[in-house]
Amino acid sequence: MLLVKTLRSTTFKLALISIGVFGAVVIVLFGYVYWSTTNFVLSRSDSAIEAERTTLRNMYDTNGREGLIQAIERRNSTASLEGSVYLLADQSFSPVAGTLKKWPVVKDAEQWTEFSADALAQNRSLLYRARWETLPDGFHLLVGKDISDLGRFATEIYAALAFAIFLIFVLAAVASVSVTRRTVGRIESINMTSRAIMEMGLGRRIPIRGTQDEWDQLAQNLNSMLERIEALMAEVKQVSDNVAHDLRTPLARMRGRLEKASIEKNAPDHDQSLINETMADLDDVLRMFSSLTRISQIEATNRTAAFRTVNLGEIATEVAELFDAAAEGKGGRVEVFGDKTMHISADRDLLFDAISNLVDNAIKHGREGGLVSIRLDRKEGEALLSVSDDGPGIPSGEFEHVFKRFYRLERSRSTPGNGLGLSLVAAVARLHGASIRLVDNAPGLRVELHFPCFDTIGETTYRRSTANAI
Amino acid sequence: MEMKIVTVALRHILVVEDDAETAKQIVDFLTKRGYETDLAVDGNEGLRLSEANEYSVIILDRMLPFVDGLAIIQRLREAGNVTPALIVSALGEVDDRVRGLRAGGDDYLVKPFAFAELLARIEALARRSATVVKDTVLRVGDLELDLVSRTVNRGGRDIKLLPREFQVLEYLVRNEGHVVPRTMLLEKVWDLHFDPSTNIIDVYVGRVRRKVDGEQTYPLIHTIRGVGFCVRAPR
Repeated sequence: MLLVKTLRSTTFKLALISIGVFGAVVIVLFGYVYWSTTNFVLSRSDSAIEAERTTLRNMYDTNGREGLIQAIERRNSTASLEGSVYLLADQSFSPVAGTLKKWPVVKDAEQWTEFSADALAQNRSLLYRARWETLPDGFHLLVGKDISDLGRFATEIYAALAFAIFLIFVLAAVASVSVTRRTVGRIESINMTSRAIMEMGLGRRIPIRGTQDEWDQLAQNLNSMLERIEALMAEVKQVSDNVAHDLRTPLARMRGRLEKASIEKNAPDHDQSLINETMADLDDVLRMFSSLTRISQIEATNRTAAFRTVNLGEIATEVAELFDAAAEGKGGRVEVFGDKTMHISADRDLLFDAISNLVDNAIKHGREGGLVSIRLDRKEGEALLSVSDDGPGIPSGEFEHVFKRFYRLERSRSTPGNGLGLSLVAAVARLHGASIRLVDNAPGLRVELHFPCFDTIGETTYRRSTANAI
Repeated sequence: MEMKIVTVALRHILVVEDDAETAKQIVDFLTKRGYETDLAVDGNEGLRLSEANEYSVIILDRMLPFVDGLAIIQRLREAGNVTPALIVSALGEVDDRVRGLRAGGDDYLVKPFAFAELLARIEALARRSATVVKDTVLRVGDLELDLVSRTVNRGGRDIKLLPREFQVLEYLVRNEGHVVPRTMLLEKVWDLHFDPSTNIIDVYVGRVRRKVDGEQTYPLIHTIRGVGFCVRAPR
């Protein structure tokens, strides 16, 4: 099964193509090596033969035929020119002197020729390469060399090259199959995990081999993606459970009220209060819906189009002023401290909403008659905005839960609110690249928003358009 | 500059809404309030009627059969028709609002809405083109707002208001006798386009009211339950 996949895989096809191209190049290269080597050796032997023939011809020219015969015989008796062949024949090609018993069948004079013949000294047939000429007295002189060694040499080179090519092809084939198998194996494990996830749910992970190679990195990335998806799915499920619960409660209340009203005959003023209560409940449900869609819209889209340079201090001051009236109702107050000239790039509406939520929480859950402070600081290149109260605070074990949608501490179940405020703050913070931190204010809770960077541009750059709107 | 006079007779409103029940509710409500209404149940009819007649306000749904609400407004504006248009839509996010207003809509109301708020916004739109107040002093009953010195006095006694509180009071007084919805106050005074889920605006206006109406013979700032506020002097 794996083999079939291996042979079908793209990697393998690519390997085949590169083996083909590489092999062709190697064959051409080796062919050239073969051709040039044999050619070189042959031309060396040819020039040696030519030199010898010239020497003998000179001998003939100066000493006549007798001198030539002597020279040939002298050469025959010495071993120095082993492998050489000489033959002087008369007009009818009958041998006069030399190493051959008879005139070999050869091509015309002055042409290179190759022939097999039995040497006089040896009783085996050898391959010779020779050239002959007709002397002025009609005799024929043939000079040549034994080239059987050359032939063997060429055959050996040929065999070596052919074997090398064969070996290269075999090795390349083995290598490509094993590399492809490995690739296909890793991809197959990813495929198997994907199929398992489709069939059995998000719990599965791609095995990691611990080799730290690119396959492991891919597997790790896919695994962390799966983890994020799983976490989101769990959150979505949690949210829909909560939506179901928090929706059902007011809906059940409304239904009960209407049912009771339809059965019983009530006084008109009773009906009126029933209608008002139902409308208030409906408004709660609608508000919850719009909060939810607002949060998911902030989270889902990258809506930085509405970003402008805004003065964080100015927004904080406006929120403080707006909520001071509400704090006054509990005998407390809201104040802004610190650097009020920090500018950041932000969506003013969302930022206002987020800070409002924090201040609203601080007033609701803070001490009766307490102080809610908004503090602005520059800290290590960050713009830090913190909202703190001096109330009972929340246990540090709850810190990580409070940003979940619909999460409410047990003791705050009785206060108004739908548990979406901090989720919205978290979503707005994420959109602005800000990190959010809960700190024990001892006493009370401090929520810190760390905005990544800000510019300290002049007040004139940013002017509110509110005044013109009236 | 010539002021455009809106006569009382021009209380003619076009409602373009494809949901039959919502449409009937709006038409019934407006008829009871003395408006003459035309109803179009799809985009084509809406376009035809708005081109044929002169209305004081056009109310449009965003999503309509055949021709989209925004497309109708764009067609009207291109033809030079400046009738105030109120977009009523279930699409309520800031981006949707911005798109609606950019297309030439004059106001945006998110479904579901209180009819009182719809009325308040229609009246504000119908009024807008008619009134250009150039006074530097606004008066309601024995309340006086000096727009130049930004001071307030009632019955000759000075009232100290924060700048934002002054703006709230100014907006309410400018719309004397008319209901100003909370969300409209938030838009016009704070330039914010979201509905805070708390009753913070009520609390804030409550404080303005304490400063303005406290220890007075009659109240000027009235809360309209479920909608907003209204400044009105007793006759």
